[in-house]
Amino acid sequence: MIELVGFSLRALSAHRLRTGLSMLGIAIGVASVVLLTSIGEGTRQYVFSQFNQFGTNLLSINPGKSETIGIPGVLGGSTQKLTIDDALAIERLPEVDYVVPTIFGAAEVEAEGRARSVFVYGVTPAIEPVWKVYVRQGSFWPTIDPREEMSAAILGPTLKRELFGAKNALGEFVRISGSRFRVVGIMNERGSLLGIDVDDTIYIPSASAMRLLNQDEITELHVQFNPGLPTAQVVKRVKAVLTARHGREDYTLNTQEAMLSVFGNVMTAITGAVGAIAGISLLVGAIGILTTMWIAVGERTHEIGLLRALGAAEDQVRRAFLTEAATLAAAGGALGLAIGLGLCAILRAAVPGLPVETPLAFAVAAIGVSTLTGLAAGVLPARRAAKMNPVEALRAD
Amino acid sequence: MIRLVGVTRTYEVGGRPVHALAGIDEHIAPGEHVAIMGPSGSGKSTLLNVIGCLDRPSSGRYVLAGRDVSELGERELDLVRRNDIGFIFQSFHLVGRLSALENVELPLLFAGVGRRERRERAVKALSAVGLADRATHRPDQLSGGERQRTAIARALVTQPKVLLADEPTGNLDTKSGGQVLDLLDRLHHEGITLVVVTHDPNVARRAERLIVLVDGRIAKRLPAAEVRSLDELFAPAPTRDTP
Amino acid sequence: MRALDLFRFAAGALTRHLLRSGLSLLGVAIGVTAVVVLVSLGESARRYVLDQFASIGNNLLIVVPGKTETSGAFPGLGGAPNDLTLADVAALKRQVRGVADVAAMSAGTETVEARDRRRQVAVLGATDNFLRVRRLELARGEFLPSDEAERGRAVAVIGTQVARELFPGADPIGQVIRIGSWRFRVIGLVAPMGTQLGINIDEIVIVPVATGLKMFNRTSLFRVMVELAPGADAEETERRVVALLTERHGEEDVTVLSQDSVVSAASGILRALTLAIGAIAGISLAVAGIGILNVMLVSVTERTREVGLLRALGAGRGQVLWVFLIEAALLSSVGGLVGLAAGAGLTALFGQIFPALAGPPPAWAAAAAFLTALSTGVTFGLLPARRAARLDPVEALRTSK
Repeated sequence: MIELVGFSLRALSAHRLRTGLSMLGIAIGVASVVLLTSIGEGTRQYVFSQFNQFGTNLLSINPGKSETIGIPGVLGGSTQKLTIDDALAIERLPEVDYVVPTIFGAAEVEAEGRARSVFVYGVTPAIEPVWKVYVRQGSFWPTIDPREEMSAAILGPTLKRELFGAKNALGEFVRISGSRFRVVGIMNERGSLLGIDVDDTIYIPSASAMRLLNQDEITELHVQFNPGLPTAQVVKRVKAVLTARHGREDYTLNTQEAMLSVFGNVMTAITGAVGAIAGISLLVGAIGILTTMWIAVGERTHEIGLLRALGAAEDQVRRAFLTEAATLAAAGGALGLAIGLGLCAILRAAVPGLPVETPLAFAVAAIGVSTLTGLAAGVLPARRAAKMNPVEALRAD
Repeated sequence: MIRLVGVTRTYEVGGRPVHALAGIDEHIAPGEHVAIMGPSGSGKSTLLNVIGCLDRPSSGRYVLAGRDVSELGERELDLVRRNDIGFIFQSFHLVGRLSALENVELPLLFAGVGRRERRERAVKALSAVGLADRATHRPDQLSGGERQRTAIARALVTQPKVLLADEPTGNLDTKSGGQVLDLLDRLHHEGITLVVVTHDPNVARRAERLIVLVDGRIAKRLPAAEVRSLDELFAPAPTRDTP
Repeated sequence: MRALDLFRFAAGALTRHLLRSGLSLLGVAIGVTAVVVLVSLGESARRYVLDQFASIGNNLLIVVPGKTETSGAFPGLGGAPNDLTLADVAALKRQVRGVADVAAMSAGTETVEARDRRRQVAVLGATDNFLRVRRLELARGEFLPSDEAERGRAVAVIGTQVARELFPGADPIGQVIRIGSWRFRVIGLVAPMGTQLGINIDEIVIVPVATGLKMFNRTSLFRVMVELAPGADAEETERRVVALLTERHGEEDVTVLSQDSVVSAASGILRALTLAIGAIAGISLAVAGIGILNVMLVSVTERTREVGLLRALGAGRGQVLWVFLIEAALLSSVGGLVGLAAGAGLTALFGQIFPALAGPPPAWAAAAAFLTALSTGVTFGLLPARRAARLDPVEALRTSK
């Protein structure tokens, strides 16, 4: 085997330019696959890590369900609103650690003679453990009965900067749709998530937000449960409580787990598709190797005749050429991997925001796939070489 | 027709100059038939290449048909080869994928001659060498003699002033070699200027006169009738007294 | 040398090595096919989206309550500082030049009941002109009566899916449904349209807008759709709409989306995506070009003696260059043509399977793919062709085979 590879290497280095070009073809294919899948995989991991910092022991509940409930004879009132009382009922479950009855909408926030339209979040102090967002300066308003209003607000850092500039905002007042709120805290910097600045917001107590935004139900209910418990069990318990309160399942419950896996599947599919499109180059590169090897067999007819005359079996000739094709492709793959990784590094340095991640498995697969591609491309030329009549081959010049 | 004055041709081989032609002065008149002989490495092929404008002298002057071609640029030399020179090679140099007729058409192709005229002239040239019936055959379907006659037809199709042949019978058996030489003789009688490089005295004998090259210089000029084998030519001159 | 002769000569050289030429050609063909198919799929998707927008009318301005600085994101998820009211709608219709009609919408989700069946649906409050402005059609019955917007009479128009589920096998017209605690008589059935811009028209219930507002205890409309008068300037009218509402509300608290800006943004994004995917597929053309380069290099080496002969016969360097360049161009252009044909075939096949994406490959994509292939071939053919042209004729003739 070692001898075969050595023999192939000598044969390949006899035509350096041609060998180099065939390798380059495979290398371009491998490099583009590596680069594009790395970007895809990086994005997936980035978004995962963004969500994972919330933990997977989360549920979200939204009002309304678009499915026909065709059970005849069941009567009931109109749809039940999703209320803060529902949230409190769920919070009483032993499995549940925290609930956040969330209301959100757009409103204008005024202070210091400036006004800015932003998203208003009606929340409870439980967002600190649940959303993993923390007050940087000042402190959260005290934990109160979430059904009660309170004129306290926490500013996102962008909004704080826009309204107050470098000045101190703590203790100052802001007006939201005509109501006055005292600023009790400034949130930590969170940056932007998928292009939206999540720091350009204001947080106020849930009940205040409902009044201000003129909403009679909560937009979304976030539930954090004991991470040691299986998600399915918690879902069952939460559904039991809520369905009992509403008379039927008129809400939609999503688990963080399910959302992440759907998102992961979508990203993997997109990455796979883009990788496959880039992989067309690999196919074309393989055709290049097939062509080169075919030509090489033709040129080396005399050599093949000599090998056979010296006692090489058909099979050995076949293997020699297969090895040559595979070596060519594997070297091309390695080159492509190096180029791909280099481009990834350049991209990472040039565009810091762009997540680029090359899993080791990809790197191994890139070499493996290109070697297999080379083997496949070598089959036809190797057969041609092996089937040559040694006498006629020797006569060829 | 051909006038060479102090023509040299020097190559660099491994950084050292090699004088393939070391000063040739020669005049070949229109319609002459000249043979060039000499041992391997004597410079006879180089001389033929220079005469054929494939190669350019390193120094000296070369006047072809009254025109100094030693100063011409490459494009002009292309035209000279295309219009005034016909080449015949030892190994025929036919293009394997083309038929005999297409091979003969080749020079006209590059001269931009229209398709119909090209065909007419090629057919005429093939007929002139007696191969009208082999026009559609590819080289591998022709005998050696037929291949060389095709090559001659190709050389003639542009109606050149000078026909240059490098060992035209080198790859042929005696019989087809003889046919090729007869053909060349006939062309010579029709008025073409013919220069043949050979080491075969039987080929050289057909010329009117003989030039013998040694180490890039003209060593001897002989009437063709005095041609002997190369060995004899370069054997120590026999003394008159010995019987 | 005449062009046609040049082509014949080059083609002759290529057909001498059919397998080799075929493989080089195949590489180009695969690349072109990939580019053509992917770009036409992308373009079809773009057209599909544009058609969706066009189906709701291309002369609309959509007024949404609320305003955020964050561009792109849809504002107005909840209440806004000032309500967008039916009085605003009336004012827009009356006072703004260039406005042909104004339709108002409210929205909410409620349980709809008929006899013993029940389901959650999106309940849309609408004015009588909504049907025309939104370019919907009725399958049966009639739409909301014209003067009912203010009074809020208890009539409803329902989507086909809702009808099927609430009244399986029965005629819904004239039947009574309960929406929350309200009773309505069904007077019309919207023709099936399927999902348009994320709203499934077949799964909604439409009631008079005033009733819709009361039912959900809302004071602000969900959307206002302003239909432009024929020939009215969209931007100018948009400015007037904003000016009037700002005057009535005392501040600028609405967002106006013009059909044009939304469509061109969506179209631009999709076109960019299509181009990116086409470019990724186009990498394979570069690889195919390298294949051509390799084959042509081999060809030049093999034909060194032929080059020498051609030079001896009076062919100039330029002519030799052209001979090899044309060969490379032929390889790539024939490959490109095969790729175009295969691409058109595959696109047609996709069209059969997914009728929504049917449509021939865009001419610009086909032309771009072909020209890229051709120029790749010529570019990569240049190196071998120059190598051939630069051969020394004397050396070339002496080369042993």
